Amino acid sequence: MKILGVGGGAREHAIAERLALSRYNPRIYWISEWKNPGIERLCATSGGFYKIGRTTDPEAVAELASNIHADLVVIGPEEPNFHGVPDELEKRGIPCIGVSRDLAIIEQSKSFLRALQWRYNIPGKLLFKTFRDESAAMDALAQAEKNITWMQNVVLKPARQAGGKGVKVVEDRHAYLLKEKLEFKLGHIEWLASYMKDYLDIEDKILIEECVWGPEYTLQCFSDGKELIGMPLVQDNKHAFEFDIGPETGGMGSFAGPELTLPFITQEEYSRSIKIIREIVNAVQDLTGKSYRGIVAGQMMVTEVEGPTVIEMYSRFGDPEALNVLAMLETDLLDVFLAIADGRLARLGIKWRTVATVVKVIAPEGYPDFRELARGHEVIVDEKAVEDAGCKLYWGSAHIDEGGRILTVGSRVAEILGVGETIEEASSRVDLCLDAVKLKSWNVFYRRDIGSREMLEKRSKLADVVRRLYRRRMELGTIGKRVDWIPGRGIVDPAEDIVKWLMKEPSDGRGG
Amino acid sequence: MTGIFGFYSFGEERERWNGLRFLYYGLQALQGRGSESVSLAWLSPNGFETYSTEGDVDAIRYLVEKSRGHIAIGMVSSYRDDSVAVIESPLRLALVVDGMPSLGNSRSEAFTRLAETMSELLGTGLSPLDAGLRLISQIGGGYSFIALTERGEMVAGRSRLGVKPLSVGSIGFDIACVSSETAALDVVGASFSSELSAGEIISMSQLSLKRGKVEGAAEALCSFEFVYMARNDSTIMGVPVYLVRERIGEALAARDEVKVDVVTGVPETALAFASGYAGRRGIRCRLGFVRTGQHVRSALKPTQLERLIGLQLKLNPIAAAVDGRDIVLIDDSVVRGNTLKNVVALLRRKGAQAVHVRVGSPPIRYSCPFGTEIPPPDELIARDLPIEEIEKLVGCDSLAFLDLEELVKAIGLPPKVLCLGCFTGHYPEEVRTR
Repeated sequence: MKILGVGGGAREHAIAERLALSRYNPRIYWISEWKNPGIERLCATSGGFYKIGRTTDPEAVAELASNIHADLVVIGPEEPNFHGVPDELEKRGIPCIGVSRDLAIIEQSKSFLRALQWRYNIPGKLLFKTFRDESAAMDALAQAEKNITWMQNVVLKPARQAGGKGVKVVEDRHAYLLKEKLEFKLGHIEWLASYMKDYLDIEDKILIEECVWGPEYTLQCFSDGKELIGMPLVQDNKHAFEFDIGPETGGMGSFAGPELTLPFITQEEYSRSIKIIREIVNAVQDLTGKSYRGIVAGQMMVTEVEGPTVIEMYSRFGDPEALNVLAMLETDLLDVFLAIADGRLARLGIKWRTVATVVKVIAPEGYPDFRELARGHEVIVDEKAVEDAGCKLYWGSAHIDEGGRILTVGSRVAEILGVGETIEEASSRVDLCLDAVKLKSWNVFYRRDIGSREMLEKRSKLADVVRRLYRRRMELGTIGKRVDWIPGRGIVDPAEDIVKWLMKEPSDGRGG
Repeated sequence: MTGIFGFYSFGEERERWNGLRFLYYGLQALQGRGSESVSLAWLSPNGFETYSTEGDVDAIRYLVEKSRGHIAIGMVSSYRDDSVAVIESPLRLALVVDGMPSLGNSRSEAFTRLAETMSELLGTGLSPLDAGLRLISQIGGGYSFIALTERGEMVAGRSRLGVKPLSVGSIGFDIACVSSETAALDVVGASFSSELSAGEIISMSQLSLKRGKVEGAAEALCSFEFVYMARNDSTIMGVPVYLVRERIGEALAARDEVKVDVVTGVPETALAFASGYAGRRGIRCRLGFVRTGQHVRSALKPTQLERLIGLQLKLNPIAAAVDGRDIVLIDDSVVRGNTLKNVVALLRRKGAQAVHVRVGSPPIRYSCPFGTEIPPPDELIARDLPIEEIEKLVGCDSLAFLDLEELVKAIGLPPKVLCLGCFTGHYPEEVRTR
């Protein structure tokens, strides 16, 4: 059997590794913009090869798949989905684990996702509003205090997935800092408008969303268009630096296990989350008439107003979350992929190992905000140290050149996975070998605190507080209900305004 | 005594934040630690600037309205002459301190030498984290500090004895704050990230945030923080200050059988003691005083006269709460005894009958080498005088202090991690051997 993989990060390295271990003994071929040293090795030993190429070019990927007579193409990242790589493969009759562009819109367009949730009344919604241009957005924010008070505590985002950049969380509950925070919000809207200028595939460029708080978790699922199977919950940690400080990254580390749910998320919350994701998949299938085959994931949060709430959706595995679940998956990954492609996921009976997993990410200094500084540094790796610690190293944004030198590409260079009976144990195991990846003349950074006892206690405490609040709302029947008071209008349900606005909008958020 | 605060913004858009306004409110929240002088240093696209002045935080109000800074540090102090220590070379930096490094003879000399040493260490090419670690290895004492370099690095830490607290928090994805007390983090809308432990350093630059700890650090947290200094809404070493104060009140109540109608406390700190006391004994707790003016803590005023003015302005008894009643009056500590004497006299004049004074800390008998303003030993009323004599002097019907064991139990931390020097005369290891 021949498999072509797409994408060059640590997530794809982990996928490639699981495929290489499959009982089908497949030949592994790969394509990405740079040559991932780990995937390169797996290709070589399995008898396949690694090609450098554009993963967002449907023709190029499909051409390669045809040339090697691939039995299956596995797409790692989101951008190939957004660019229609799976659609091109489907046209050519090549089975693919990857989501059609029309379906991947639940990840690509954050405004589409929100509109979908409100139109189909899917729980876990957030108040939101999208804007075409900066002046309307700025007006709305400036008027928030008088008109739409939910717009005081906001998350400002690009309305389209845009390189994971530009998300700002501005909670504004202190009257004396109101002016200061408004200034920042308005400044950031300007920044967003100019940042989004080049994304011509979408009309509404700026998204303003209700700011919520609570413990976060990622629920990744396998979907074959009929059946949706949830994987173990993972918590990814987005702040660049220890103790949840600093800029937003793609994720600096994650933990999961040993059970299907996390220590601070209840079984009931897990079930509700699955239900929400299933409804979203059903809704987008309903809207497009297409079958969702591949991975779907919800980046979720337990919130006061809604309980389990959707923050964002992924049309692929999370990175680093993929490493956690793939290490816990007992079933042959290729069996799972084949079942997805054939639409017989329901009969497969996927099994999970009862182990805890922790991933810590190693990034060059400069990531995420000053990437030019993070690029082009030679990597020195002590693979034995990783092995001695009983851990595994997955290469990320790292390129191996002809001479065998490994260079940083600018993003997260490597991820180290540790397995243990408890999350804490797995976390300390990873700590033993975090210094195994260094740069020749530049520094790396990582977060030791991921999966530590302190972190787990903090998350549990946060979860307890928010759980009491949303359960109380359930008892009182006020779950999902917001109340605003606007002078001259009186008591207002801001959700009604959103629904009215959506009814007027002909666009479904896809724009174009 | 001082309160220190730092504001650090990250990322491409950092200059959009005016950290000076956050600093202003952070320092205002820390004014309970001192309000005689205020000083700050900040970095803006225009460069590196510093400012120190006498007065409370309002003295910088105009400055923070007018100026901008995306990285900033500041200090409020109970000493009129305190200022931010500024060093020009080898590396330009500013530094603020809570507590006392064991250096030099005066506060300003100690602060300046601490800053000088930091500048020299950074000048040798050490990373900010390593320079901070070396600094606290070299310089003993009980202090916390925050330094800001002109290159835009912030280094903060606690000395090996860790007498003074220091916490870190964050706002969204953009901002980190460092503060003497957790309450100031709340006030600027930051969420608490963690407390630094003794001998721990945190350094921040645009590229990284690093933490490290020196060998041989031993926590000797100032127990007076719990009794008097810290705000009721702060948490130190994971222990909520308010709960300690309620437990102190409960401990005083547990062994008290005096018959009274009303329990009241001297604002601010002793209100929590009174609540704990009243709850335990089932006696009504009433508001005894209304405060006038700014949050000025009488023990932190520099002269005797100002102390009296501060007190009288601060506390006007509510006659209706005490008139014709037998009361238990709770205060946090007794230093010279004059505060208490005046409060008792004022209460009596408003019609209080029996006034039984309970003090939420053991008698203060010794001075503090770490910069807490305790008068020289010969000015401490509880040093030699027996309780009956103090009772007479204060003019109360009975007086009782908290025991040392009760205090330690109320704090709930092992005694070996606390400095109890002002009560016992035994200071943490390092100071005694000097």
